[in-house]
Amino acid sequence: MDNALKDLESKLETMTPFGLSDLGRANCHQMIDQLVGECEFSTKSVNREKGNWKGTAAAAAVALGVGVSSGWFLGVDRTSAVIREDNKSAEAHDILAFEDLNYETWILATGSPNVYVTKSGEIREISREVEVTEEVVQHRESGLVVTIETTDYHVVDTPKSDF
Amino acid sequence: MSVSGINLGEAWREWLGESAPRLLSYARARCNDVQEAEDLLQDALIKLWGYQKERECRPPDLPLAFSVMRYLALDSGRRKGRREKRDRKIIQFQGDDDHWLDTTLEDTEEADLLRNEVEELPEKLREALTLKIWGGLTFAEIGGVLKISHNTAASRYRYALEQLQKKLNHLQTFKNG
Repeated sequence: MDNALKDLESKLETMTPFGLSDLGRANCHQMIDQLVGECEFSTKSVNREKGNWKGTAAAAAVALGVGVSSGWFLGVDRTSAVIREDNKSAEAHDILAFEDLNYETWILATGSPNVYVTKSGEIREISREVEVTEEVVQHRESGLVVTIETTDYHVVDTPKSDF
Repeated sequence: MSVSGINLGEAWREWLGESAPRLLSYARARCNDVQEAEDLLQDALIKLWGYQKERECRPPDLPLAFSVMRYLALDSGRRKGRREKRDRKIIQFQGDDDHWLDTTLEDTEEADLLRNEVEELPEKLREALTLKIWGGLTFAEIGGVLKISHNTAASRYRYALEQLQKKLNHLQTFKNG
């Protein structure tokens, strides 16, 4: 890297990013307190239940049943996922039951853009983009791995700058 | 848990104090405004807590935090629609004084120009530059976060610097008449 770029690098390093706002910091701290509180509560609950293997086994069986059925539910189609979002009470448990393993998204361009002129005389181009998203999640209890592929279609309408 | 609740809370607050500006600069490079960036950071906090449960809930390493931020930003962008987001971002950057780098201590004109040009870099270049300069990551770590090779990360970073240098040279030429 030449000296000019090194100088530029040094200049950029002196530009410090803004920190959190007071409100943002307060929210984060409150969230940390909640998470710590929940963590302590769950630790105490686990300690209380030590030795009661029948209760633990029953809870695990219920969790496994919910998890497997949720996994099947996720894999069916997009409509079923929307229905799932409506069931607020079950939603949090279902989401917590899964761990994100991988997430990839990519764009498939479809066709060359069409150029048009608006009434105000602006030259714009319109095209279509297909966005494919692949999420791989694993159910924590059962180990079941589910792959969800989503395809979104976007209409891209932008001012034309290159001629 | 080997760490008590109070110590754990303190450890996370301390971690947040040190890492928030870095994480927030990355979030700002991917979001429309400061509010959205702070929301992203809070979402990441919850996600990271979940990941760290297997590690006694200790505060995470920065590369993991950046990976989670990126994942959440992608997810958020997917939900909102990429195009809508990009168009609004251009308006945002050009329209008002909502910037994410503090240039008040520097030579105003050049620093202002640099700040504007950084914000207008293509997303891939801006991302690599942000993670290197303000995130403090190595190219290998940047590659891990962005799911690209370290050579590609280095190339994007260098290309970003070159683009900024061109703009600065242009300014110098303009000033010298």
